[in-house]
Amino acid sequence: MLQISPRLRNTLISIGSLILTTAVVSNAFYQRKQFYPSIIYITKSNASMAAIYFQGLTLVFLTWKLLRWVFFGQLRPAEIEHLVDKSWFAMTDTCLAFTVFRDEFNSSFVTLFTILLFLKCFHWLAEDRIDYMERTPVITKLFHFRAVSLLTTLSFLDIFFVAYAYNSLVTRGASYQLVFGFEYAVLCTAVGFTAIKYILHCIDSLHDQTAPWDRKAAILLYTELVINFSRVTLYTVFLVLMFKMQSFPLFAVRPIYMAVKSFKKSLYDVIMSRRAIHTMNTLYPNATLEEIRAGDSTCIICREEMTTSCKKLPCNHIFHAYCLRSWFQRQQTCPTCRLDILRPRRPATAAAPAAAAPAGQPAPGGGAFPPGQFAFPQQPHFHMGNMAFPFPLPPGFPQHFPMPQPGQAGPAQLPNLTGAPMMYPAFYPAGGMMPPPPPLPPMPVPNFADMSEEDLRRLEGDSRRALEMRVAHLRNIQALLDAAVIQFTQYLSLMTPPVVLPAVPLTSTTTIPTGTSEATVSSSSTNATPSEETPTGNSESDEVRRRRLQRFQNGLAAEQP
Amino acid sequence: MGPADSPYEGGVFFLDIVFPTDYPFKPPKVSFQTKIYHPNINSNGSICLDILRSQWSPALTISKVLLSICSLLTDPNPDDPLVPEIARAYKTDREKYNQMAREWTSKYAM
Repeated sequence: MLQISPRLRNTLISIGSLILTTAVVSNAFYQRKQFYPSIIYITKSNASMAAIYFQGLTLVFLTWKLLRWVFFGQLRPAEIEHLVDKSWFAMTDTCLAFTVFRDEFNSSFVTLFTILLFLKCFHWLAEDRIDYMERTPVITKLFHFRAVSLLTTLSFLDIFFVAYAYNSLVTRGASYQLVFGFEYAVLCTAVGFTAIKYILHCIDSLHDQTAPWDRKAAILLYTELVINFSRVTLYTVFLVLMFKMQSFPLFAVRPIYMAVKSFKKSLYDVIMSRRAIHTMNTLYPNATLEEIRAGDSTCIICREEMTTSCKKLPCNHIFHAYCLRSWFQRQQTCPTCRLDILRPRRPATAAAPAAAAPAGQPAPGGGAFPPGQFAFPQQPHFHMGNMAFPFPLPPGFPQHFPMPQPGQAGPAQLPNLTGAPMMYPAFYPAGGMMPPPPPLPPMPVPNFADMSEEDLRRLEGDSRRALEMRVAHLRNIQALLDAAVIQFTQYLSLMTPPVVLPAVPLTSTTTIPTGTSEATVSSSSTNATPSEETPTGNSESDEVRRRRLQRFQNGLAAEQP
Repeated sequence: MGPADSPYEGGVFFLDIVFPTDYPFKPPKVSFQTKIYHPNINSNGSICLDILRSQWSPALTISKVLLSICSLLTDPNPDDPLVPEIARAYKTDREKYNQMAREWTSKYAM
């Protein structure tokens, strides 16, 4: 019978170790008859010490079982899985830490590490449990009791150990207590986060189902940011101290990396959700009643009737503003077509990274156009080019803004722009920048400056930062200008030979671009889904670009004589 | 019910669907209660399906989710497996995979 149930096996092991210890101790007493000699006998003999250590391990295991049962009851499979994964990592880290502190390696060190591992396990389990709380429909009183008692116990223990480590550091100087102090401090942040989550979930469950509490996600987002930030700060301080006092803490690299990664992620989440909500509030128009009635008038998120306070995304999908808000706190895509609200960009060309660089401070319009649409905002150039001059120069530049408002409201997308004419310059560059149209290099630059100024206006309160931003933006503008000049010269040098072909294509190009531009408009309005658009749209825009280039050459040729 | 053109045909699979409190902003937790031999479904019944994780969208409904699960049964995705052994069997020895899946279906789901 090789198959023994784990439960039976554990019981057998604990009973065996108990018998072994009793045997060792009674043997010692039998031989030495007195307390102290027998203790010395046990400590001198390796075999009996091994038995004692084994007994210690089983005791630890039994306490673990007992405490786990008290605080958690039955563990779920997912929890066990997480626990095993994380404890393996913790064990590896611990082994690495042992190598750093091999001089101070003794039984008290081992004990402290065991306790630390123990507490860590409880922290992970607590976190899992509180997360689970969100998903389970029934939360019993026992659950609350367990959670509260566990969280208080853990936080007390953490604080106690931090204080203990601090004291011993102050009185006895640098030692491995430094590691413990920081480990417990990090655990403190973990327990704090878990407690906040628990409180939030409690408040959430108190709210009744009809009026859900919509601020929870936002609060969680910010709490996570703060907690992760404090964790990163703690680790940095720890790293510096360790480096000064001992050596480079190799064992802490993994947790530090994880902490930095999660901090980055939470920061990114916060920025993204803020940007998305800001973009939605400022750039996307409120849907009118006709627009709502035109399609399905139920909000696909909450399945309720839409009447007022609805927003229309650039992909023409309409939702309740507050539903969108909640969704954007989690992801920044259109719920229906997954269009990225913030970066509906196509494969970027060389200048795009330069444009994206200052995006650290969110450009309000940071690309308000979906892939399917952005061929469209360029369209005014086309007409302008045909009517006036192939090259709209900065002085003539403001003429562009009135352009989209009156006539070309044909495609369904246009109301977006007309709805917020003031915002137009703000997201105009995004449309113009994404595929920097080679013949129009000066175009993005004035727009870009416009946008950054608005950005700066928002930063007005913080003068130093505003200044820095201003300088950064100016640098970017300069870089763009330089790039444009380079492109310009390159194109000129490339195109000088065929410039010879003169007036004949001039007439043809004046007709062709209008045709293609209409083609792009119709395709962008019919193909609402961006995924279908991408393959064809790419070559289409290339084609358009090529034609423009040609036209530009012709324009130059016409100008020179 | 297992889809007709799959080795799970004829089987009745029970699913467990748990809605988080902030549904529809978070995906529902869907798991198989019936054991199934499938590269994207493990022994705990967890399903490896993108729309139940990162690709969740509040526009998805339970019927759409169930439909995707059905199509996952017909066309497993062995390139993103939850159970690598089954994925290997699916890729290299389709006949064995079909036979095993049928066996499990008749054993657990009928």
